[in-house]
Amino acid sequence: MDVRRWRRALPPVFAIAGVLLIWQASCAAFGIPAWLLPDPWSIALYMAEEAELLFGHVAFTLGLALRGMLLGVAAGVICAVLFHLLPAVRAAFSPLLVASQNIPLIALGPLLMIWFGVGILPKLILLVLVCFFPVAWSMLAGLGQSEPQLREYLAMIGASRVQAFFRLELPASLPYFFAGLKLTATYSFLTAMVAEWLGSGRGIGYFLVLQYKGFKTTGVFASIFCIVACSLALYGLAVLAESRVLGRLRMGGNRAKGGGRA
Amino acid sequence: MTEREDRTEHALRMGHADGTEPPGAANLAEQTDAAARTGETGGGAWLLETVAVSKRYVRDGRPLHVLDRVTLGVREGEFVSIVGPSGSGKSTLFRLIGGVERPDEGRIRIAGRDVTGRRGLISYMPQQPSLFPWLTVRQNIASALAIAGIDRKKAAALATEWLERIGMGDTAGAYPDELSGGMKQRVSFLRALLMPRDVMCLDEPFAALDALTRTRMQAWLLKQWEAHRRAVLLVTHSIEEAILLSDRIYVLGGAPATVLREIPVPLPRPRRTDMWNEPAFGRLREDILTLLGRSGERDD
Repeated sequence: MDVRRWRRALPPVFAIAGVLLIWQASCAAFGIPAWLLPDPWSIALYMAEEAELLFGHVAFTLGLALRGMLLGVAAGVICAVLFHLLPAVRAAFSPLLVASQNIPLIALGPLLMIWFGVGILPKLILLVLVCFFPVAWSMLAGLGQSEPQLREYLAMIGASRVQAFFRLELPASLPYFFAGLKLTATYSFLTAMVAEWLGSGRGIGYFLVLQYKGFKTTGVFASIFCIVACSLALYGLAVLAESRVLGRLRMGGNRAKGGGRA
Repeated sequence: MTEREDRTEHALRMGHADGTEPPGAANLAEQTDAAARTGETGGGAWLLETVAVSKRYVRDGRPLHVLDRVTLGVREGEFVSIVGPSGSGKSTLFRLIGGVERPDEGRIRIAGRDVTGRRGLISYMPQQPSLFPWLTVRQNIASALAIAGIDRKKAAALATEWLERIGMGDTAGAYPDELSGGMKQRVSFLRALLMPRDVMCLDEPFAALDALTRTRMQAWLLKQWEAHRRAVLLVTHSIEEAILLSDRIYVLGGAPATVLREIPVPLPRPRRTDMWNEPAFGRLREDILTLLGRSGERDD
């Protein structure tokens, strides 16, 4: 079991190591200047030296991303449930919501700043707008996907609308909720970073802008590594939560023993 | 026993209410009521009745007449089957009895009271076990009982107690996907049995099982039912199953479906699963086959 898992992890590890090696070697071989493309080793050294500074900025952005994600996911769930229970509301507002997702962030951000200033509020609003949609949309699909047999059973024994919702539709929508959550987790950190471009004195997004404006390419790369790592970490957390919850509810892939579904 | 108390309480509540009937249904109901009453002299009052129930659908733009003035009934403690070919509207009849749909004509009565279109008055065992995969066996039963208004703690205790009683105590904490098809149907039956309601409606409960499991489940159901004697309405397309289990059989046939005949089963109780060897069983089987054959549709 464990051996097999290690074996599966080996190829990507080798691939990444290979890419880094070639990168390092070409920087040295072709004498590429650091302001054009710094070599991985110098980036690593830079990150180690500036660890405290980087950590401060990353922590700030992570805090912003997590808060936005929390609010966005909550808004997404509420929106999905509302749309599901009130088809008229769904019919009225779903085109608007889809349209809202097509407003470019780069245009929306400055507007939010004009309306709400440069504090945390416009950034949170931006995050919520980005984070709520995947959760809302995929959970809404899930709420309508519950098994017809179970639905019919509940109808036949006289379950009310509310009972059918809590006993069937809501639990059945959980796999869809987590699919949405994973998407949201992927976007949230990047969005928080973009939000910081719109005026902030802290955060890895702010730091990134500072670095590239000063042609400090090594700093830019260091920021990129931090951003990618954080995005992956958030995604990993979402995956972990998914497998925990779905495993406990006998939903995910790790169904205990074979055998037909009820 | 708490479950019995609940049920009598329920039955009493229904007895107090006056069974007023809308005037529109009276005309149609009259003739069929007469037929129903002749049956009533046989024993006890009707617990569940369908009175001249008709249902039409529109499918692909064409009207589809499914049920035509179907009148039948179940008395207290009686096991009644509806036999008919597939697609003869048996499941539609159940949906009408369950109140999920309303009949175009006719009424549904429970304990003499008009309950047409009202849900939550019967207990139900569907063809597929319909257990919730994310709940344990005990939780599945308790959850259904809670919907029926039983206190959560009491529901869980009842489930545990009865699982023990049918020899499935060790599966209480298992999930449905850990059980075999037959075991799942046992849980589904127990769930229906424990619902504090007057009539149990079983909708082809063994149709999805293999032949051997099906025979075993019939014997098991027979034993369970003879121990508890609930009023049961069973829908099946197996003639043998109907004869083996029932006190009376309604043969449903034709398009639209009507009650071709009501047949009392002359076999004594307790029944044994080897009763199909008896001449009375064979004659009854022949009768029903002929009846269904004459109505034009056969389903083997």
